[in-house]
Amino acid sequence: MLTRVTFLDTIVPIMSTAFGCSELSAALFGRTRRAILALLYGHPDQSYYLRQLVRSAGLGLGAAQREVKRLSNAGIIRRTVSGNQVFYQANADCPIFGEMKSLMVKTTGAADVLRSALAPLAPQILLAFIYGSVAKLAQRNGSDVDVMVVGEPTFGDIVSALGAAQETLAREVNPTVYSPAEFRSKLKARHHFLTAVIGGEKVFLIGDEHELARLGARRLGKPAQKHPSRDS
Amino acid sequence: MRDGWASQHKSTRQEIHKLPGLADRDLASSATAGLATDWRFAVAYNSALQSSTAALAAAGYRASHEAHHHRIIQSLVFTIGARQELIRRFDAFRKKRNMSSYEMGGTISEKEAAEMAAFAGDLRQKVERWIRENHLELKL
Repeated sequence: MLTRVTFLDTIVPIMSTAFGCSELSAALFGRTRRAILALLYGHPDQSYYLRQLVRSAGLGLGAAQREVKRLSNAGIIRRTVSGNQVFYQANADCPIFGEMKSLMVKTTGAADVLRSALAPLAPQILLAFIYGSVAKLAQRNGSDVDVMVVGEPTFGDIVSALGAAQETLAREVNPTVYSPAEFRSKLKARHHFLTAVIGGEKVFLIGDEHELARLGARRLGKPAQKHPSRDS
Repeated sequence: MRDGWASQHKSTRQEIHKLPGLADRDLASSATAGLATDWRFAVAYNSALQSSTAALAAAGYRASHEAHHHRIIQSLVFTIGARQELIRRFDAFRKKRNMSSYEMGGTISEKEAAEMAAFAGDLRQKVERWIRENHLELKL
């Protein structure tokens, strides 16, 4: 799952995609906790029973039991009893709900899965980022993941590369693929769709704000979110 | 058939001959100079859909109206023996065309429109070859 992005720059900005995001999440959380949080905060509208969690995340039953207990005691996840079934879900009332969602999207969630999927094509890609509801952290169950790619691969190459990621994320992934020349010229012409995308929230998969600026988005762009507000 | 997504359909030779003609017409239209990128893409997509419908009709079937495009695309596995790679790509084009037509215009890049046209041209040839090799009686 580890993906590294090679930068041509000599200066790599802090919080750039040069970080292996799997490493970030592995340093923050143990394997079981990470797997549970990734699943629950990756699908915050969905509740899971313990066996589903164990199966989906490939965990041991005992370790998962201990972890859900700790997380629900802390209020990070919600435990609901219905008949003789116990369900677990990301807790929207948790004071750090928005931050946890953001952390999961950027590390173990959609971004990490997509970054890994695009890794074989990374040398030919200048820029790739998530935009739309997933980047805004406003995704609902079933929200598609919108991905912008600027580079040499064809739409077909990108669709093939993202095929398995769609299954992992259990979401549709909708790529839009631009050649660097077309991206530059449409930005220059203030193309309405691109202007809206560039002005909105982005989660970078390959490249960063610097690369975006180099492609001509200096005046249009707004920084990728660093302190996302809690989802409404 | 079992799921009711296609029904048996006795196609006339005239009908089978008409469909590739429509695919050619749309393919040629998509190359019209000055056409907006979204339109070029949509017309080329339509051409690919007509080719797929021709193959299905030649095999003696017609897709049901529900999820019509999706089903016609999936039917290529059973008609021309399309690989999953082709189906996945065509289906991604379908989603792109839906998004562009019903949600937000301007979402298609030049690169994608050109790729859609190349895909439609290639599919047109594959279908024609398949009909020629498998349905001699229809002689395209």
